[in-house]
Amino acid sequence: MINRKLAKILSFQYVFLALIIIILAGVLLLLPKFEKHEGINPQAFLSNVISPERYMTTDELAEIYINQDPSYIVVDVRTENDFKSYNLPNSINIPLNTLLNEDAEGYLNQDQYDIVLVSNDNFSANKAWILCNRLGYKNLHVLKGGMNEWFSTIINPQKPTETMSAKEYELYNFRKASSMFFGVMYPEDIKVFKKPVVVKPAPKKVIPKKKKKKMPTEGGC
Amino acid sequence: MGPLIPNGIIPFEWNNIIAIIIGIAFGFILESSGFSSSRKLAGVFYGYDFAVLKVFFTAALVSSIGLLYMDYLGYVEMGNLYIHPTYLWAAIIGGAIMGVGFVSAGFCPGTSLCAVAIGKIDAIVYVVGIMIGIVIFAELYEVFKPLYEGFAYGALTLDETFGISPYMFVFIFTIIAIVAFVIGDIVRKRTKKVFY
Repeated sequence: MINRKLAKILSFQYVFLALIIIILAGVLLLLPKFEKHEGINPQAFLSNVISPERYMTTDELAEIYINQDPSYIVVDVRTENDFKSYNLPNSINIPLNTLLNEDAEGYLNQDQYDIVLVSNDNFSANKAWILCNRLGYKNLHVLKGGMNEWFSTIINPQKPTETMSAKEYELYNFRKASSMFFGVMYPEDIKVFKKPVVVKPAPKKVIPKKKKKKMPTEGGC
Repeated sequence: MGPLIPNGIIPFEWNNIIAIIIGIAFGFILESSGFSSSRKLAGVFYGYDFAVLKVFFTAALVSSIGLLYMDYLGYVEMGNLYIHPTYLWAAIIGGAIMGVGFVSAGFCPGTSLCAVAIGKIDAIVYVVGIMIGIVIFAELYEVFKPLYEGFAYGALTLDETFGISPYMFVFIFTIIAIVAFVIGDIVRKRTKKVFY
């Protein structure tokens, strides 16, 4: 009796299995679809956002320039005209609206170099930073304060007042030195090289002594 | 999370060890389900046994449905999976040669090794034949090279080729599989029974 019932159920086992597969495939079709995010996941992105390595100060960048560190690429995301009017030495111009072009990818999507994104302020560079981060690019930094900060700290550093600490003076000296590295002149520091006056010894005057002419012997006596 | 090895969850060095373990399990299941018998394998061509069709079709279905669910739930990134590139004419000609070998010897390469393990003489001859074929191919590689490397279409997938979503494709594939199973059963009932 039991066996007959079992056999009856088991005779439908393949139908049952086929139904399971069809239902599984059908449910897959009916599942609500959602947009999948390419690239970095939100947790990693958030940890990048709050990472202290995100920003690079102008002093650090100047030091990189002075040491001629080859592991950095400076990417200027301003427009082409701005780039032409002034740019950081050896920087690459990738305007923000061409950032996702194929020829820009070669510079940005690699992990051998550190990339420093530069714009007039943080704003455009941060935009580029977010875009590149979402694509999963690595080793990205933003120049804090951008070009404006570069001018006010490195190219034209403020002289500290007398009440400021020694640290401020040290920083000022570093900035001044680096601005000199980038070709800024400080007129007060220019030491005019005076030619030492060489006193020429007076030429010796030759005073010829007149020899008394011997009187020709005269005959006589 | 997955795939486990490309994402570094399992170290790369484990690749071969895992492959050996899976291979042993695969061989065990092939043998225990009777796939080391060339009569069972050839049955799909003569219409008295459709086990091969059912097994491989079901395996493809289970893995594709399972992968799509895992992808949906975020356990596997489908984009990281390896898709074998399409070499059109190499696949057609190679497939035809493989089919002729399959129907004449009654083994596919995997099951032949299974049958060698249980000591079948025809399977040993078959494997020796495979080795000779490999040597011929390797020696004449320069001759076959244009066919072997030509007609490359990249990593094509059926859902992208037809422009439908993978979910829709798997559903259609499932229906086709079930229909094929039913037709196979009808054909099997009509043909003369072979005892093996």
